[in-house]
Amino acid sequence: MEQTTLGVIGAGRIGRMHTENLVHAVPEARVKAVASPHLDDAWAGSLGIPVRAVHNDAVLEDPEIAAVVITAPSGLHCELIKQAAAAGKHIFCEKPVAFEPLLIEEAQRTADEAGVVLQVGFNRRSDPSLLDLMAAVQNGEVGNLQTIRVTNRDPKAPPIDFVKRSGGIFFDFLIHDFDSVRFLSGSDIVEVYAVGAVLIDPAIGQAGDIDTAIVTLKLASGALAVIDASRQAVYGYDQRFEVLGSAGSVAVDNTKPSTRVVSTTGGVVGRTPHDGFVSRYRDAFVDELKAFLRAVRGEGPVVAGAGDALAAVRAALAAQESFQHQRPVRLEAAAAAAGGGATS
Amino acid sequence: MKTVTVGVLGAGRIGRIHTENLLRMAGVRVKAVADPYAEFGVWPANDVRTGPDPELVLADPEIEAVLICSPTPTHAPLTEAGAAAGKHIFCEKPIDLDPDRIRQTLAAVDAAGVKLQVGFNRRFDPTFARVRKAVTDGEIGDVQIVKITSRDPEAPPVSYVESSGGIFLDMTIHDFDMVRFITGQEVEEVQAMGAVLIDPAIGEAGDVDTAVTVLKMTDGSLAVIENSRQAVYGYDQRVEAFGSDGSAEAANETPNRVTISGRDGVRQDNPLYFFLERYQASFVAELEAFISSIRDDRPPPVGGRDGLMSVLIGIAAARSMAENRPVKVEAP
Repeated sequence: MEQTTLGVIGAGRIGRMHTENLVHAVPEARVKAVASPHLDDAWAGSLGIPVRAVHNDAVLEDPEIAAVVITAPSGLHCELIKQAAAAGKHIFCEKPVAFEPLLIEEAQRTADEAGVVLQVGFNRRSDPSLLDLMAAVQNGEVGNLQTIRVTNRDPKAPPIDFVKRSGGIFFDFLIHDFDSVRFLSGSDIVEVYAVGAVLIDPAIGQAGDIDTAIVTLKLASGALAVIDASRQAVYGYDQRFEVLGSAGSVAVDNTKPSTRVVSTTGGVVGRTPHDGFVSRYRDAFVDELKAFLRAVRGEGPVVAGAGDALAAVRAALAAQESFQHQRPVRLEAAAAAAGGGATS
Repeated sequence: MKTVTVGVLGAGRIGRIHTENLLRMAGVRVKAVADPYAEFGVWPANDVRTGPDPELVLADPEIEAVLICSPTPTHAPLTEAGAAAGKHIFCEKPIDLDPDRIRQTLAAVDAAGVKLQVGFNRRFDPTFARVRKAVTDGEIGDVQIVKITSRDPEAPPVSYVESSGGIFLDMTIHDFDMVRFITGQEVEEVQAMGAVLIDPAIGEAGDVDTAVTVLKMTDGSLAVIENSRQAVYGYDQRVEAFGSDGSAEAANETPNRVTISGRDGVRQDNPLYFFLERYQASFVAELEAFISSIRDDRPPPVGGRDGLMSVLIGIAAARSMAENRPVKVEAP
């Protein structure tokens, strides 16, 4: 098998997960280098990665490395995309690329000019269950789409330090849902109405964010969508999707680590869903990297590009504005208000 | 057990169902059924008086309680006439589409000192009652999100749509009441989005056939209702309450519990087709509750104020959609 040589920049939680996936589950990948200012050398060494560095140059300046996986802190993503593109390397970048539409457009332009692939980490687009749902939609099994519903609930509210630098619930958390609605519908979001509340942890409110949100969306196709999101579902990671169409509906339920059911006089008790995104989307995280490598070799499409990141951020901006001003917001209006009116 | 003597006004579909249920109930005597348009024939039973004139029921001093199952525009005047005659009243929803008319009727009921129950039958559905119990028993902690799916199996005729008062007052009204029932909270603000995606004729009649309505409750929690006039696979009625300690979720009812697994998939029968099948048990239970409240002299579990609130929420929703902005619910 032809292998693509990769370098990873950033070795936090997601960076380590991607690296381990590349090493253990993606035979078409060869991870040559990993760079992180706080690199755990023993961890990288145990994976057999030959170049282990604290500085990004070890990745960016190595001519043998054809593609980079960027999992550094969000604030560095755009600059690293530019540097990697300038070095002629294909790029897989974790979400968010940036919170400002102009920066995402610039990243896209840089990658286009360098002629490199730029894929964004919207992992759900590679989830086998969601792809199967998509297959039913694309086969016409449910007819014309009318309503899309996404339930997104984390098992545990994040630490306040994270909330403060997350960009807010719409940018950090619902960004995946905005992308999922676009992905499942094949239609753009044209209007957003968001309500939110602090119902889980008052400290999240004091940090200027909310922990519970319901967002309704109008799509260009005329269909409606609704997302309900919570930072804390005590029973686990709740990820459900449903599409209603003129000929029926198709839904994806929660997956669980085990199908065990215990029945006693006290009731019938099954397992709770997965405890977080790492286990729920295990296959998706592997498959998105495989898709990236296919795109690098020109054998497949980019499953999520900068244009998708841009559209999701624009929806998040509109949601933020809608929530603050308590009224529905058209997407072009939100883009103009944010100074990012240009289209890609 | 004291026998409660009942009369029924209106012998259309729901009037006939209520009458049949009452005839099977111990401690209840159905004395008369009146409907100016009904062909009675041998229905309902030999010892039940039938006729076109509501006075057959209203003027009979032996009749203690009246069921009002006539068309919506007659609900308010017949409720007032029943109250004036000193009879307890069970009235189908909605009491009226005009809040002031409802207030006037409720004042007449109060002045007469009779009981009034409104036909929000879904509160008596054993499945949804269990969701409510999960809330009141503290099984799921403080409620944060209520999510209701309410989809009819087929769109009604356009002639019906034209006189229905619109999707929010005709269809979502049950869901508004369900949110109030599940949470025990009032709705403060409504935002509704609608679309015509099923039948253009519904749009031409000035209504929508698909809607998503978001509610802010007085305690700060949120609710979302998703409606469709046509889910081809059957009557889709799901309720979920999500709270600080977990969630309670009611799935659709199916006619049996059989799963057929074959080469092409794993199949179950569709949900029960429509409300008569799905809510059969609740229609009996709501009347049992009404009769008990008379027999034991207790307030009915769902009253005139509930009827008024859901109309006020429906009006706010219609206005929200028309003006594309969130709308506060008017005080009762």
